[in-house]
Amino acid sequence: MVELDHSFSTGKPTDYNWDAILDLDRLIPCVQGGKVVERTSPTAAKAEIKVKMGAMSMTFAGTVEVVEQDDAAHRALLKVKSREVGGQGHANADVAIDLNDGGGTIHTAAQITGKAASMGEGVVVSVLDGLIKDFTQRLGQI
Amino acid sequence: MAIPPGSYTLGPADGTLTVRTGKAGAAAKAGHNLVIEVTRWEAALEVGAGGGGSSVALTADARSLAVRSGSGGMGSLGDEEKASIAQSIDDDVLKGGTIAFRSSAVVEAPGGLRVQGDLDLLGATRPVAFDLDAGDDGRLTGSIRFKQSDWGIKPFSALFGTLKVADEVEVDVDAKLPVE
Repeated sequence: MVELDHSFSTGKPTDYNWDAILDLDRLIPCVQGGKVVERTSPTAAKAEIKVKMGAMSMTFAGTVEVVEQDDAAHRALLKVKSREVGGQGHANADVAIDLNDGGGTIHTAAQITGKAASMGEGVVVSVLDGLIKDFTQRLGQI
Repeated sequence: MAIPPGSYTLGPADGTLTVRTGKAGAAAKAGHNLVIEVTRWEAALEVGAGGGGSSVALTADARSLAVRSGSGGMGSLGDEEKASIAQSIDDDVLKGGTIAFRSSAVVEAPGGLRVQGDLDLLGATRPVAFDLDAGDDGRLTGSIRFKQSDWGIKPFSALFGTLKVADEVEVDVDAKLPVE
């Protein structure tokens, strides 16, 4: 299990950010290489992410679901479950988003297995850190 | 052996001009060491008696790089991946810019020539030096290593900056001296 903490700033009001992070059609494409495959409910979607490693790439397909939502505290927990397409690996994560004025914090607890994990935990942490930092920058633009 | 005095023009029909790149970054393990061939280039070699009055000039087409092989990465590179790398070189790194070398001083050295000159890469010019070795069979070999960043080139990076092409690259020439 890899745990990472990030903060972000969007410069937009909390109510706006709250609507944005709960809208999976807007949120999922903020992850580089991420796209919604199908909306299955107002709080869940089938999604996939293509992680490009230069010319090579790995695709993970699975679900993203808002499993906890506290509208008063502006706190949400998203659960990501995915499988490597054409491989044996998994990438699962609990993503807790806590909004405050003009931004918020993200706590990610991820479990990566298979080929990606075989590169070592240090690499997984570096790549996830880069992915989430990029995500937080894109959040400021939605 | 000493290169016989004369004027020579060399190109892909006479040998290979090859770029070798390594990898860097936290996720370097996922990347490949690449062997990339420049498929369109031309060199002019003037050799004076005893090395005096000699000169070397080379130009290469920045859009003619072809990935020949990759080693050490996660999975093997297929034709599609090789073409994708060549595309990235065109779009993100060299962008069809200038590649030109012109000697400023050439002296005879044991087994060939010692060449000093200026390498223009994408409009930035820096001095480089290398030995051009000549074999008994007329084979010419030479090699230089340099850092892309010294020419203002940002090494290609992917995977959120965790996988990079190493700053230092090696360029090798291996050609057969054409018979006049």
